[in-house]
Order: sequence, then C-alpha cells, then structure tokens
Amino acid sequence: MRRLQPRHWVFLGLLVVITVAMLLRVPLALRTSPETQRLYDYLNELPEGSVLLISFDHEASSLPEIRPIAEAILRHAFERDHKLIGLALLAEGTVIGYRLMEQVAAEYGRTYGEDYVYLGFKPQFIAAILSMGESIPVTFPVDYLGSPYTSLPLSVDIGSYADVAGVISITDGSLTTHWIEYAGARYNLRVLGGVTAAMVTTYDPYVSSGQMHAMIGGLRGAAEYEQLIRVSGGGLRGMLAQSASHIYILLLVLLGNIIYWREQRKAGKR
Amino acid sequence: MDIGTIIAGLLTLAILTFLYRDNPIYKFAESLLIGVSIGYTLVIVWSTTLMDILFRPLFDSGQLVLIVPLVLGLLMFSRFHPRTAPLSRIPIAVMIGSGAGVAIPVMLEARTLRQMTATVGPLISDGGFDFSVLVVLVGVLSTLSYFYFSREHEGLFGRVSKIGTYFLMVFFGTTFGYTVMSRMSTFIGRMEFLLTDFLRITK
Repeated sequence: MRRLQPRHWVFLGLLVVITVAMLLRVPLALRTSPETQRLYDYLNELPEGSVLLISFDHEASSLPEIRPIAEAILRHAFERDHKLIGLALLAEGTVIGYRLMEQVAAEYGRTYGEDYVYLGFKPQFIAAILSMGESIPVTFPVDYLGSPYTSLPLSVDIGSYADVAGVISITDGSLTTHWIEYAGARYNLRVLGGVTAAMVTTYDPYVSSGQMHAMIGGLRGAAEYEQLIRVSGGGLRGMLAQSASHIYILLLVLLGNIIYWREQRKAGKR
Repeated sequence: MDIGTIIAGLLTLAILTFLYRDNPIYKFAESLLIGVSIGYTLVIVWSTTLMDILFRPLFDSGQLVLIVPLVLGLLMFSRFHPRTAPLSRIPIAVMIGSGAGVAIPVMLEARTLRQMTATVGPLISDGGFDFSVLVVLVGVLSTLSYFYFSREHEGLFGRVSKIGTYFLMVFFGTTFGYTVMSRMSTFIGRMEFLLTDFLRITK
C-alpha cells in the first residue's frame, strides 16, 4: 500500500466530518431566504386545484441535490391540492421525474390522471417550450405511459400556457433560462425554479429583475422549504453535515494560508 | 434489501475509490455510467422522438410534410463522406437560421432590456434611499468599464475599472462558494444513501 498523501488525509477528514455530522442528526434552525419564502407563498396562495407544470430539467448525476428540492416542492403542491403536469426536457431526468411524482403522489393519496400527469421527455428544449405555448396536446400527443393526452381527466382542458398557473423548473443547468426567455418573456408564463447551489448565481439576476418569480437554491433551499412545510426530508437531515463540511473547508483554507505564509517567511530569511 | 440498492451502493463505493487513486474498479464503474447513460438516452430519443414525432405520424398517419425533416435529418449523415459532406450544410443552415431568428428577439428582451430595466431602478423610493440599487448601479458601470479596452485603464477611468475588478472578484468568490456547496450537497446525498439505505446505520 502506498503512503497516504496530504490530499488523502483531506478526503478522509471530510469523510469523518460528514459521517459524524450525519450520525448526530442534530436539527439546525434556519433563517428562510426571501426567494424560498416567495416560492412557498406562491404555492400557498394559489387557489386549490390550480394547474402547475413541473419540469425535470436535470441529469441523473445531480439527483442527491435535486431530490430534496423536488420532493419538498411536490409535497407542498400535493398538500395544497394543486394539479401537476410533469415533463422532462433532459432525457436523463425523464424516469427520475416520473418516479418522484409517483412516490410523493402516493404519500398524499393522489391519483394519476386526475391529480397529476406525467408527459415524459421532449427533445430540443427551445422548440418544445415554444410548441407548448401554442399547444400542449400537439407537443405531447401521448403521456409518458402511452395514454392519449386528451383522454386524461386532468389534461383534457389544458391546451397551452394560458391554462396553467406557472412552471417550476427543477434544474442543475441553464435550462430554466430557456423557460424564462421563451415561456416567460414570450407567453407571460410565471417561471419559478428549484436549482442546484452551483446555479444560484446564474439565476440571481433573473430573480432580481422579476423575470423569475422565486427560487429554491441547493440543499440549503430544500431545507428551508422543508422547515416551512414542516416535513423532515433530505434537506434538513443534511444541513448539519453541510455546515460542518463548510467549516472544515474554511479551516483547510486557513491552514493552507498559514503554511504558505510560513514558507514565504522562511524563504525570505534565507 | 433490494438488488437495486445493493448495486447502487457498490457502484457508489467503486466511484469513491478514485479518491485514493485511479484503479480498475473505478474505471469499471465510470464506463458503466457512461454506457448506461448513452444507452438510456438513445432509447428515450428513439421512442419519444423518432418513433412518436417522425416515423409513426409519417408512415402510419401519412403526414407527408414530415418528409422534409426526415430528409434534412438524413442529410446530416452526409458529413461522413468527403464528397457528400457539403450537403450537410443545408440542415445546419436551416437550424442556425431558424434558431437565430427565434432566439435573438427573446434574448434581447430577457437578457438585455429587462436586465437593464432592473439595473436602473429608482435610488430613492417610498422607504427612502435604496442602497442596494446604488451598489448594483456602481457594480454594473465599473464592471462594464473594466471590459472597455479602447482606452488605457489609467487615471479616473483606471480607478473605476479597478473597482469593477473587485465586483468581479466578489462574483467569482460567490460562484465558487456556491459550487463548493453544491459538490458537498452531492457528497452528503450519497453518504445519506450509503448510511441509511445501503449500510442501514442510520434511519
């Protein structure tokens, strides 16, 4: 076995910090950000039975971060008795979106076809978004399970964006931008998002300018939302580990700088 | 424990072995991921795109207009032979032309005009002086001046563009911080799966 290098100790340290934090299961009280609160308020204030589009615009690799976000939004929407139409604009998100909707719908006793519908994947996201603005049944003639769109009680009266309250795009990339630019700017559809933390700075300008109504950002955002809907999920469970890992990284940055400073001083003396 | 959880747990551990060093177990898991992803995407695209949108409507319902996208799509394959390669420019030209036509007006609206409107908000509103509007205004102007290269960055102009670099550094720092947070979240998600579903140490 090779001798462990410094980076191995850094990884091991991170593993220990996260494992211990997860085993402790200490709940952290969080301050809700205005963006998360706005999404909560929006779903809360919508009349019961409002129809929302949920777009799973992500890949499988971001599932650990996306899952708590999606579950929190779906739980709140089903709890408020909203009707959901799911779809995916990235192929990898197709089955993930279906399973998440099916799982959360079962928790709340919701029925497929009446309370939620899953349309599946459509390629060429810009064309798909624009096409849905004209006609959703033409864009998705059949749902994910192969039933004709117009045969389902929920979707039979939903023709275009004019018949839905808004779209919540759950993304790990820039796809929500296309919802904002094509569905929001052109069809005045209200766009909301559940995005990975890495994408928060991309969408902040859209939230500030009002083009994106609200946004949940990363695991922290999911935890805030879980706190608001009083459901313990992956977000709240991971918050202590998240905070501990950040402190660990901060300490490493400090340590690295101290070592660098000492070496510079030594080199200066020589 | 179901077979899916066992496979997912073992593959997660296989990927994590890369943290020690590159090894055959990691390479196997990585190749499997790539293969499954491509295979899955191909099946989805075949069934929901080519079959649902093209072949069934064309051959079953007789929508002859679909011959146009079929021919354009086939022309893309002409790139594989030097003699026929120029033909592939036709579908590419259609894609670029229609794409630009659709994208330019909406992008101008969403990325430029509406962002500019948000930038030049009122400094004094009902609640008094809005400091954040001033920060946004100074940030936008100074950062834009940093990217103006037709004049030497010296004197007052140099000092303003220097302020722009500080705004850029804050942006880069914030973005990097969020990226670290995102990667940590992914790792925490996998650790939760390993500890709860795979190893069943926690509930």
